[in-house]
Amino acid sequence: MTAYILRRLFWAVPTLFGIAVIVFLLLHLAPGSPGAGGADSLRRASGKAAEQMRRQYGLDRPLPEQFAAWIGRVARLDLGESFADHRPVSERILEALPHTLALNGLALFFALALAIPLGVVAGGSPESAFDRASGAVLFAMYSMPTFWAALLLQTLFAVRLRWLPLYGTAADAAPAGLAGLGDRLAHLALPVTCLTYGTLAFVARLVRSGVAEARTADYVIAARARGASRGQALWRHALRNALLPVITLFGLLLPALLSGSVIIERIFAWPGLGRLYLDSILARDYPVILALSLLSAVVTLGATLLSDIAVAAVDPRVRDGAAG
Amino acid sequence: MKRAFWAAGLALCLIGAACRAKPEPAAAVRTPSPTARPALPTLGFIDESSQGTSMDGGVLRRRLFGEPTTLNAVLQSSAPEAQVLQYVQRNLFDFDARLELVPGLAEGLEISPDGLSYTITLRADAVWEDGRPVTSADAVFTIRKIVDPKIPANVFKPVFESFESVEALDGRRFQVRFSRPYAFRSMAFVLPLLPEHRFAGQNFLKSKQNRAPLANGPYRFVLWKTQESVELERNEKYPGPRGHFDRIVFRIVSDNTTAYRLLLEGELDEDQLDSGLKDRAARDPAFAACCRLLEFYNLDYNYVVLNNRSPLFADPRARRAVTMLLDRASIVRGLYKGSARIISGPWAPDSAAYEARVPPLPFDPAAAARLLDEAGWKDTDGDGVRDRDGRPFAFDLLVSAGSEIGRQIDEMLSAELARVGVTARIRTLEWAAFVEKIDAGDFEAASLAWSAVDPNPDPYFYWHSSQCSPNGLNNGCYASPEADRLMETARLETDPGRRKEVLARLHRLLRDDAPAVFVVNAAQKVALRRRIRGLTTSPLGLYGIWPGPLAWWAEPETGKAP
Amino acid sequence: MLLPRRAHLPASARVALAVVVLLWLVAACSPLFTERSRSIRLDERLQPPSLEHPCGTDDLGRDLLARIVTATPISLVIGLVAAAVSLGVGFTVGAAAGYFGGAVDLALSRLIEVMLCFPVLFLLLALAAFLPPSPAMVIAAIGLTSWAGDARFARAEILKMKELDYTRAARAMGASTPRILLRHLLPNALPPLIVSAAFGVGWAILAEASLSFLGVGLPAPAVSWGGILSSSANWIEEAWWIALFPGLALFLTVSAYNLLAEGLRTVTTQGGRNA
Repeated sequence: MTAYILRRLFWAVPTLFGIAVIVFLLLHLAPGSPGAGGADSLRRASGKAAEQMRRQYGLDRPLPEQFAAWIGRVARLDLGESFADHRPVSERILEALPHTLALNGLALFFALALAIPLGVVAGGSPESAFDRASGAVLFAMYSMPTFWAALLLQTLFAVRLRWLPLYGTAADAAPAGLAGLGDRLAHLALPVTCLTYGTLAFVARLVRSGVAEARTADYVIAARARGASRGQALWRHALRNALLPVITLFGLLLPALLSGSVIIERIFAWPGLGRLYLDSILARDYPVILALSLLSAVVTLGATLLSDIAVAAVDPRVRDGAAG
Repeated sequence: MKRAFWAAGLALCLIGAACRAKPEPAAAVRTPSPTARPALPTLGFIDESSQGTSMDGGVLRRRLFGEPTTLNAVLQSSAPEAQVLQYVQRNLFDFDARLELVPGLAEGLEISPDGLSYTITLRADAVWEDGRPVTSADAVFTIRKIVDPKIPANVFKPVFESFESVEALDGRRFQVRFSRPYAFRSMAFVLPLLPEHRFAGQNFLKSKQNRAPLANGPYRFVLWKTQESVELERNEKYPGPRGHFDRIVFRIVSDNTTAYRLLLEGELDEDQLDSGLKDRAARDPAFAACCRLLEFYNLDYNYVVLNNRSPLFADPRARRAVTMLLDRASIVRGLYKGSARIISGPWAPDSAAYEARVPPLPFDPAAAARLLDEAGWKDTDGDGVRDRDGRPFAFDLLVSAGSEIGRQIDEMLSAELARVGVTARIRTLEWAAFVEKIDAGDFEAASLAWSAVDPNPDPYFYWHSSQCSPNGLNNGCYASPEADRLMETARLETDPGRRKEVLARLHRLLRDDAPAVFVVNAAQKVALRRRIRGLTTSPLGLYGIWPGPLAWWAEPETGKAP
Repeated sequence: MLLPRRAHLPASARVALAVVVLLWLVAACSPLFTERSRSIRLDERLQPPSLEHPCGTDDLGRDLLARIVTATPISLVIGLVAAAVSLGVGFTVGAAAGYFGGAVDLALSRLIEVMLCFPVLFLLLALAAFLPPSPAMVIAAIGLTSWAGDARFARAEILKMKELDYTRAARAMGASTPRILLRHLLPNALPPLIVSAAFGVGWAILAEASLSFLGVGLPAPAVSWGGILSSSANWIEEAWWIALFPGLALFLTVSAYNLLAEGLRTVTTQGGRNA
């Protein structure tokens, strides 16, 4: 097991390097850099921004030198200074992080908490009425553009029924204590719903097919033969098997959630990382764009590592098999 | 998410708040006013300053349409910054609702007979919130920062053009000297001061002060939550009249629709409505129950600036054609329900400089097509787009994100241009990136709003060829020797009648040269919770005048949880 | 071999196929609606759906149905071509990694892993915002950011096939590498990849709509469903139809492609079992 972990860690190093290279390439696509397309004036940084780009990234020096200097600063956790308000990028990210963690954490929790039982029940009796109905709903959720869902939910719950706030993280004069908590939760309801349903549909379909397949597998039948009830067999044995792909994909759920976060945070004016990223893209605030790209990829890499190790811990075939 | 169009304009004009009216403080030496007083707005002018007995207490919840980038008064460049700073730091002089100058931190202004030297006396009781007096050293520090080439004090730099020196005469008096006279010079002293002692030994551009300004006004800074809010509380050290509210909370809401909802919920006390929301408010019983609507004409207007340096728009015939392709009458009827006026030059009809005898160019697509033909733009390759010397007549038409009216104007223009074989691609840019492009002159056409922060009609900084971007505020780089001459004459002419004559000739020239598409002067629409009282409207709007919003007060609210 | 017996396509997928065909027909007819979609009538702003305007009008009085129809070809073409680009890049990278193995596999697998670490929308936004906006660039941006999944899939398929008897047999008989790839591996790997491509089209259409929604897609006067939805947020109180109908068109299109993909998957896996 230790050997497996070490091997995975070792292979993460070139991946990390690749991530840095891609982000660095992104910088060179950016307007104001020597490589940027000049045909379209909007892609060029003009005036102050071009000057800042040159100063902060030394764009007039040779490429390898620029890369080394940049990597050096990133390694010292110096992410540079935002063009927009001249504050350290890290400060802006730390400001936005809790909002995104709250949103995505809840979305992930609800997605898993709802998807797993749904998948088990549906997969436990394939082609049943429940399976077909839930399958249709999940399919619709899977194909539903989040921004459309968000607009419709806003129209229904915030505009027509006025049950929930249209946007934001909290009321202006938020009451203290329990009422304040209620207010926060009301503000979370719509964005969390919109961020949850896509992941939910994805995971539920995965669990359903895993359970449906495992239902007829030998070890489940054996478990039943040993006297386990149908429920026990499903929930304990089939589910364990069906969860493996979910854990494997856990690392990939993270970037998907962050992608969703960009859209949801924009619609609900949620001051998190997704909104920061979009604002920075639109304002051509390169230091923030690069820092967030790098950060999200590194965090995803970390999560992928953890989920791989978790899978290996559960399933010995993995750690003895593939090279990583 | 979305940003109001007018707001974009406010900021733009603040960037170019070059020209300010002559200060006429009561205690100062009076000289004849160079500007005729503009007519008061025709639509619902309001002065509630003498109505009811003002009450103290409560919270005023105002809206900022965008995040301030700094709260350093010298570095300010946009409306949200000005709106917050107005409460925190007083100017030497301010405009009142009738656009006359009243003393603020200063109590006296003397101008030397040659008009080059200005001596200002500070009030004896002016004090910073930390207890230190506001001194002439602060004034010298502030002015030196403004004229420092490394400091982007873009709002104030133009009026300090031909600045020569500043020196403290004693603790309360200082003198500023200029090398050339300028008819509107004294407007330069609508000027905030910075506390020198707080900036000592710090990098001016990166100082912590820039996010937490020291007060010398009726309110002091408390808190700035990024993308959420800025909070102020009453400054008990302020020697002038107490602010009526205990606290002022500015909530950053870029989306107009959201702001409207927050207004109905009582989370905002005031909001500027766009015309779509005004229509909604007029039908909405919930609005009538909680709020009222003020509508009045100010000096703001919309325009689409064309880059005169671009080969597309170098020929005045091509520019005139673009103006003639925008159906402004239909905009007034359809988008503004009649509460807007077509303009024919870079001033609102209520501005002293506006010449009513210059009618706007008509909407005439056939004539526009002929003008384009004459200018050599013909579809020679049969691809449906006009071209000349191998270059197609296709360009990017910029609009700042969230500017609903700007987008609508752009779409109308683009649709009409498409019919005569010109491609205008509408490109939305975030406010900061948008301003950067405009300031740098790095664009072909852009939809803007002009918002006057002072009544001065001097067009020199915006249309004179010496002021071309990126170094000046003539963003589209309009350059006409005749217009230059007229502007040079106007800014030295102290006789209002003769000046008006020169400006009228300039107005006619600008209409025909069409350096930009001047669209409309639309009535400003302000929605307020009914509890807010003590309002005064002015041609500059509700803010930016003294006491303006500082005189607002609130009746105690009933029925809403605290 | 490719798609064994069309009759096995489930009913839902057949309906989806019909919808896709219908959408392409609408796209083919859309030039007829261009003039109507551009016609600005400010006195007919924000009209609810009626006989004259079946989907209502937008904030400039333009007929919403005409605008939705005009936007159809852009969505469909960008979706299809971007999915093809993504599949092409993904298949090439994945197949090369799987077939050659060794150092090539190690390097390409790292690349795939790197691409999978980025939130797709992050890269997509950066590319779309930094490249000049044209249909080709939007296609390139979508194609170049979303191939990693296809690549991983293709690699796994090829690895599986490599171990199959006929590959070994071909190699034993002295077939050259390209020949084995083209003649034996490609046809066998293709059915699952076509399924993946069909899902890819749905995803690419969604990606284009997201870009337009976020304001970095094709600029007006080009019309896009995402773009219409983006402006609908301003009229959410008075004109629900501006949010409803373009979203419905988008949802219908994406669902149709996804359903079709599901159907194809059923067929190909059945085919696989039968073979």
